[in-house]
Amino acid sequence: MEEEDELPLLTAVSSSARQLYLLLRCINFAEKAHVQINDGGLQFSVDEASVMEGSAFLSKDLFTTYTFRAPAPSQREINDSDDEDAPLEPDLPTFQISLPALLETLQIFGLTDPSTSKPHWARDAPASTATGGAFTNNVLGMNNMCRIAYASPGSPLSIVLTEASIRTTCNLTTYEPTFANEIPFDRQALAFKTIMRGTWLYDAVAELSSTSPEKLTLWARTRARKPYFALSSSGTLGSARVEFNNTPVTRAPPPTNNAGTVDAGAPQVNLLETFQLSDPTTPFRASYKFSLIQRAARTMSVATKVSVRVDEQGVLSLQFMIEVEPGKVSFVDFRFVPLVEDDEDVEETQFLGGEEESDESVMEDEDEL
Amino acid sequence: MRFKAQIHNIQTFTKLTASLNSLGPLAWLKLSDEQVCFTIIPEQGTQVWAVLSIDTIFDTYAVQSAANNVINLEVPLGPLNRALKSALNATSAQMRLTKKDSIPLLALTISTTSSNNSYSAFPAGANRDDNAIFDDHFGGNRETIITQEVPIRVLAPDVVSGLHEPQTREPDVHIVLPPLMQLKSISDRFTKLAMAGARAGSGTATTRTRLEMAANMHGCLKMSLKTDAMSISSVWTDLVNPELDPSQVANGDIGIVEHPSTRMKLLGSADGQSDEGWASVSIDGKDWGKVMSVGRLGGRVIACFCHEHALILYVYLPTDSGEDESVLTYYISSYSA
Repeated sequence: MEEEDELPLLTAVSSSARQLYLLLRCINFAEKAHVQINDGGLQFSVDEASVMEGSAFLSKDLFTTYTFRAPAPSQREINDSDDEDAPLEPDLPTFQISLPALLETLQIFGLTDPSTSKPHWARDAPASTATGGAFTNNVLGMNNMCRIAYASPGSPLSIVLTEASIRTTCNLTTYEPTFANEIPFDRQALAFKTIMRGTWLYDAVAELSSTSPEKLTLWARTRARKPYFALSSSGTLGSARVEFNNTPVTRAPPPTNNAGTVDAGAPQVNLLETFQLSDPTTPFRASYKFSLIQRAARTMSVATKVSVRVDEQGVLSLQFMIEVEPGKVSFVDFRFVPLVEDDEDVEETQFLGGEEESDESVMEDEDEL
Repeated sequence: MRFKAQIHNIQTFTKLTASLNSLGPLAWLKLSDEQVCFTIIPEQGTQVWAVLSIDTIFDTYAVQSAANNVINLEVPLGPLNRALKSALNATSAQMRLTKKDSIPLLALTISTTSSNNSYSAFPAGANRDDNAIFDDHFGGNRETIITQEVPIRVLAPDVVSGLHEPQTREPDVHIVLPPLMQLKSISDRFTKLAMAGARAGSGTATTRTRLEMAANMHGCLKMSLKTDAMSISSVWTDLVNPELDPSQVANGDIGIVEHPSTRMKLLGSADGQSDEGWASVSIDGKDWGKVMSVGRLGGRVIACFCHEHALILYVYLPTDSGEDESVLTYYISSYSA
């Protein structure tokens, strides 16, 4: 034991603090983040009132060196898998740190970056920073070294950033984890699953947010073997709906009684990569608090793909695939607890009634073609 | 009492007043035959004693008074800065001391070459020099004279006779600072971090951010901050510790041998890892940020650290002639540990 204590539990070196920053920024909605270290990487998770969870996984692929010395082999066997979904092992190092402090530290050299002297339009476009345009620091090799170390349980998480002749050391106080249960999500019993581009989901949510709604409802069903997926929002100012159709649509369906309809995406492309419904015969719907979904908006805007899954309990899982640099993907996960529906009947008739009508008319047109 | 001068470097003068204004609203301006002095002594925070050679900002310069041709004025920096800003495009600007309804004023007469309407069809953003050339070619220019009046107070010699530059002991460490804008960007991050840490902390939030600045005689500068949630420090290495000039030190060569910095040279290391040999001061983060705003003047800065006592910054402004440099001296006193 004593010999082990001399070697730090974790040493990880990254050549780009910016990549780590971009990923961790996605879950920047809480003061404290839980950190769990395992063989595959570092898992950062935040939680909001136990109804929303976000987690970013800094896989060891993001680091040039990643050395994790599992503590006390006597306690239990360490999970060896690289899967970021590996169940939480109780004896893996887990602690809390201040997330805003970590984020500020990671961009400590941001202001002296030559890239920030560029005009505003040439930087920080959400799409280009994540994937890395031709003139980002990653490509130009201007990135700064970042070393993360965690010596032993109870010691601070230390981050060392080096740029030219400046070295910044930050020791983040580690706090005892608050044993909040993570939101249970049963991926064996999925009610609905679809995969689409992150930016499309972002556009849809951004579009809906204009009426500052309280509630976001997901709709999904299969009609004539064609998938149909819609997001609708409702609030005091009214309601709106964004539909995703896989089949080519020649024109937008006529607006329903009280819903403004927005046609999303180019008609030629299949908007939904995967589409699964556990019960294709009945339409699927589930509602969530809009303001919580919006917390994931920044992630949506930088993600290449998003997998939208809902289990039988109605828990929504949004899994985002983010390309930090070409060929290197990372994942950020969000989970949301559904809203309990009380005025179900009223809305069901309103929505499905109107929608059925418009849908039918489109279908008929297509059948004739 | 007469004062009249042609402003020769409006850019520098504007930047100077802007950065001085961040430290205090009023400045004591002392005009004499040899130099122009700006002094700011705020209630608390950093004092600035700026001594400028006349040619740093003025061209033709005339000062006359009954008291050895010295004029002491109390100038509001905000209005002065605003007046100078309107002179940024000027072809010439003149400053003189005058009186209107028995209120003393600094009158700034600015002549600009404005253009007629046909000219405005050209895309904006073109270089100002280009504009001037265009104007000459197209004959579309028209001279405008703007007069800005800044009310001031004339200070009697006995009012200012009690004001003295702070006396400090010989510094333990003197070092050339890295570019101030770089230093400022990092110290601003630190201040932000302190606030993030304060929010996370359980009610023990302090409104003041205490930055710890330290330097050694081996080219290292350290800036650090501690909050409940974290501690952070940045270390610069490979900076320069200028050699002392024996002619400027009391007792010459013997003085240098006995100088505190000579003793400090024996301690510490060039990689900044050692705990020894640091002279450190504890200063207010926000105040430091304001001091750093002088960085936009782009001068060379030497910092003198008196351990746990004070930090003195000498900002040398670049001059055209290269002779008698203008220097701004900042006195930042340390919080007691």
